[in-house]
Amino acid sequence: MTRTLSFLWLLPRNLCVLVLRAYRAVISPLYGDVCRYYPSCSSYTLQAIQHHGVVRGVWLGSLRIARCHPWAAGGVDDIPARPTERYSVTDFGFVVAHSHGKG
Amino acid sequence: MPDLIGTVLWPIKWVIEAILVAFHTVLTTLGLDPSAGLTWVLSIVGLVLVVRAALIPIFVRQIKSQRRMLEVAPQLKKIQDKYKGKKDQFSREAMSRETMELYKKTGTNPLASCLPLLIQMPIFFSLFSVLQEANKGQQGVGLLSKELSENFGEASLFGIAPLHDSIQSAAADNPVNVVVIVIAVVMVIIMTASQFITQLQIMSKNQSPEMKASPTYKQQRVLLYILPLVFAFSGFAFPIGVMFYWLTSNIWTMVQQFIVIRNMPTPGSEAAFARESRMAKKRQRRGITVTEMEATPAVEEVKKPQQRVQPVSKNRAKKQTGNKK
Repeated sequence: MTRTLSFLWLLPRNLCVLVLRAYRAVISPLYGDVCRYYPSCSSYTLQAIQHHGVVRGVWLGSLRIARCHPWAAGGVDDIPARPTERYSVTDFGFVVAHSHGKG
Repeated sequence: MPDLIGTVLWPIKWVIEAILVAFHTVLTTLGLDPSAGLTWVLSIVGLVLVVRAALIPIFVRQIKSQRRMLEVAPQLKKIQDKYKGKKDQFSREAMSRETMELYKKTGTNPLASCLPLLIQMPIFFSLFSVLQEANKGQQGVGLLSKELSENFGEASLFGIAPLHDSIQSAAADNPVNVVVIVIAVVMVIIMTASQFITQLQIMSKNQSPEMKASPTYKQQRVLLYILPLVFAFSGFAFPIGVMFYWLTSNIWTMVQQFIVIRNMPTPGSEAAFARESRMAKKRQRRGITVTEMEATPAVEEVKKPQQRVQPVSKNRAKKQTGNKK
């Protein structure tokens, strides 16, 4: 039961992960490294969605893209950390409930 | 959703229409036929000139920070040496982090962000929608009156290929409009060629040896062959007017790149060596006396603030000037 619930709860962000992975595999390489930040905007958004969910993730990602322009200093800019991580991330980037946790 | 996009594009459409109409008015005053295709085509060229001229500051900024890269090159080399041969994900990540920190600290970020790439997109789509509305004879959002809009919608390139037609729409016509397809295909080929030349110029001549060794370079080499392909496919759906904008913009990029590579090449690149040897030859042609006169004051200017010239005896003074020669 909790498994199904958590799957449904995580479905939107996993769909976004899929879209972003596709973008990073197909479109990103087309123009090479251009981002003035580390991690790059798409990587930042991917992480933000993985760790903060779709709504906050997209919001954080949009802010980052707005920050990234030729006049910005750039540099290292990580996503804000969550006090506790409730889920784990697979190698591909999907977000799953801890296999041993309470779900 | 389309309404949201429409709202976002509205101001851009307004500006584009204003520029188009302004150029159209000027060209008409100069004696061109207001309803001729050429007048509208030249107006689109004018639009490109305005847009690209407005983008020059971004471009200059990028070049300047690339120049300053030379100053941080030793520090960059240190980071690269530190992670040399380490190909695992964590080392790569740590290396990227350190590199970015260095760029930030020294204010030499050579990356341009995706803005220069994206900034032409709204302009592109706005022109696309202006053309589409003009095709329907609708009044524009701003200065493009109904009369002008109809005029624009009927305008054609070389008097035979309507600006609003695309390969797609021409193929759907009955009978198939071959002229439009031929012109569009030729345009796609020229566009692809200009893009290819631009990229090739950068890749082969304007890269430092360190850059050439990096994985990004290899990635970009692949890109060199993929991008024109993408280009050809997207050219399929765009009307000739929009393609003409793109084409002119591409040619601008090509010329701009050529000038930059010739006059301000990336330090350490092939183009930089070519420039140095060109300069040396020029100096030789002018004669050696000229170079000496140019060089001596520059040296003195640098030396002056550092140390007061010590008084020296006649003998030593002779020796010093002797050494200089």
